Amino acid sequence: MTDQRERNIISSFIGFADRLVDDFDVLELTTQLTQDCARLLDVAAAGLLLADAAGVLHLLAATSEEARHLEAFQLQREEGPCLDCYHTGRPVSVADLTAETGRWPRFTAVAAEQGFASVHAIPMRLRRDRLGALGLFGTHPGTLGEDDLTLAQGLAHVASIAIVQANHRMGRDDVLPALQAAVVSRAALEMAKGVLAEVQTIDMQEAFTRLLDYAHRHHQRLSDVARRVVSGGPGSARLLDDIAELAATRVRSTTGHGSPTASSTPDPVS
Amino acid sequence: MGSEGDQVRAGLTATLAGAGRGRVAADRLCAGCVDLLVVDGAGLSIVSAGAAFRSLGASGAGAREFDELQFTLGEGPGLDAVESAAPVLAADLDGPGGKRWPAFAGAATRLGVRAVFALPVTVAGFPVGVLCLCRRRPGPLAGAALRGGFLAAELAVLPVLDVLGIDMNAAVQDDTSTAWDELGSLMRSEVYQAAGVLTAQLGVPPAEALVRLRAHAFASGMTASEVAYQILDHSLHLGDDAAGTESGRERF
Repeated sequence: MTDQRERNIISSFIGFADRLVDDFDVLELTTQLTQDCARLLDVAAAGLLLADAAGVLHLLAATSEEARHLEAFQLQREEGPCLDCYHTGRPVSVADLTAETGRWPRFTAVAAEQGFASVHAIPMRLRRDRLGALGLFGTHPGTLGEDDLTLAQGLAHVASIAIVQANHRMGRDDVLPALQAAVVSRAALEMAKGVLAEVQTIDMQEAFTRLLDYAHRHHQRLSDVARRVVSGGPGSARLLDDIAELAATRVRSTTGHGSPTASSTPDPVS
Repeated sequence: MGSEGDQVRAGLTATLAGAGRGRVAADRLCAGCVDLLVVDGAGLSIVSAGAAFRSLGASGAGAREFDELQFTLGEGPGLDAVESAAPVLAADLDGPGGKRWPAFAGAATRLGVRAVFALPVTVAGFPVGVLCLCRRRPGPLAGAALRGGFLAAELAVLPVLDVLGIDMNAAVQDDTSTAWDELGSLMRSEVYQAAGVLTAQLGVPPAEALVRLRAHAFASGMTASEVAYQILDHSLHLGDDAAGTESGRERF
C-alpha cells in the first residue's frame, strides 16, 4: 500500500465518519461511497443493492447515473454474483466472467456488453439481518487481494450503518422500514433526474450533478430536493429555475466566460 | 428471508393470481391479508387530488365501513401514513398512542378495534393509497406479519394504478406474468427516469406518468423497460392521444 493510497483511504473513512454524526442524506452518502469504492479499489463501476421486504434487490446508488450503465446492477434482481452474495451472506468473487456464462447466462452477456470482465460482490448486513450487497465491476480480469476485500467490506459496513442510522433518526428500530424508505427515495431521485433531463435538455449524469449541487448549496437533503422536483405545481417550477440558474453559475465560474448553456458531464463508465 | 416470509409472499401472490384488476384485485388482496397476516380486517384506499380518499378494496363490508370511518372523521393512522409517506403503527388505540386521534380512537374502540397498522402505498416516493390492517386484539404486529404487510402494500400498487389509469381488463389477457413480475418490471431505474420525463412533457403527476407508461407497454406488447428506453432516447412520445387517456381514466 502506497502512502498516498493509505492517505486516501483514511480520508475517505474520516469523511464518512464526519457525515454520519451529521444530518446526512442516505442517497448522497451511498453515492459518494460507491465513488470511493471505485477509486480506492481500482474498479470501473460500483453499486449498492438493497433488498426490500420481498427479498428483491433494488439499486440504491452507483458510480453512474445513466440507465444503460445500471443494467448490470439491475439484472442482479434475477441472477448474478450480487444476488448470490445477498442470499449466502458471503463475498462472491468472479475473477473472469467469461468462465461463468453457464452459471449466469443473462448477467454475463450484459456485463460483457458493457465491457466488464470481473465482479466482486460484498455482503451488507446488520447483525444477523442481510441488507443487500455491494457490487464492484472491473474492466479487466483479476481477483481482489485480501487487503482490498477487507477494505471493501469496511466500506459496505459504512453503507449498512448509514441506512440504519437514518432509520433511527426517524425513531424506528426495525430495519425493514429503513430499507423500504431508501428504495422509495431512490425511485423519487430517478424520477427527478428524468424531469430535469427533459426540462433542461441534459443527460442523467448532469441532472444528478445539478440536483446534488442545489442540495449542497441550500443545505438540503438530496432526496427532499428530488421529491420537490417531482411533486409538480408552482413550487417545482421555481425550484427547476433555481437549479438551472445555479448550474449556469457553475458553468460561468469554471469556464471563465458567461455562457449560460450547461455542459454535459462525460460518461464516467467507459 | 425465512420460510415463514416466503409462505406469506407465496400466499399473497396466490390471492392475486387470476383475480383480474382494479377493485376485484384490491378486495382479494385485502382478504388475503386477513388470511395470512393474523389481522381481523383490511382495507385499501386510494388518495386522489392530494387529499381525498376513496375506498378501493376491503376484506368485507365491516372492514370497508371501518376503513371509511377515518376519512369521515378526518383523522386516523391511514391519513397520517399518507401525510408522512411512512407506516403508522397504532398498536393500542385505547392506550396513550390513541390520543393522537381522539375521535377515531374512540369510535374504533367502541367498534371493538384496538389496533390499526397503516402502510402507505407509494409510487416513487409519493403515496397513492394506503393499506390499513385492523385487529381486535391490541399489541404490535409481529415481525413476519409486518413484513407481510409491507409486501401487501407493495403489491397494492398494481390495483391502485389500475384505477388511476384506464380499465385495463381488455388490454391485459396475459396471465403468464405474476403480480411480482409486473411490479418488478416497473421498479427499474429507466422506468422511473422515463416517468420523470413524461411528468415534465405532459404535466401530469408521477403516478399518472407511470400509469401511462404501463398502459403503452400493455397496448404495444412491449415491456415497461423497452417503452422507457424509447422515451429516454426520444424515439417515442406519449402525447395526450396516447393509450392511457381513454374516458375511463379517473382524475388523479
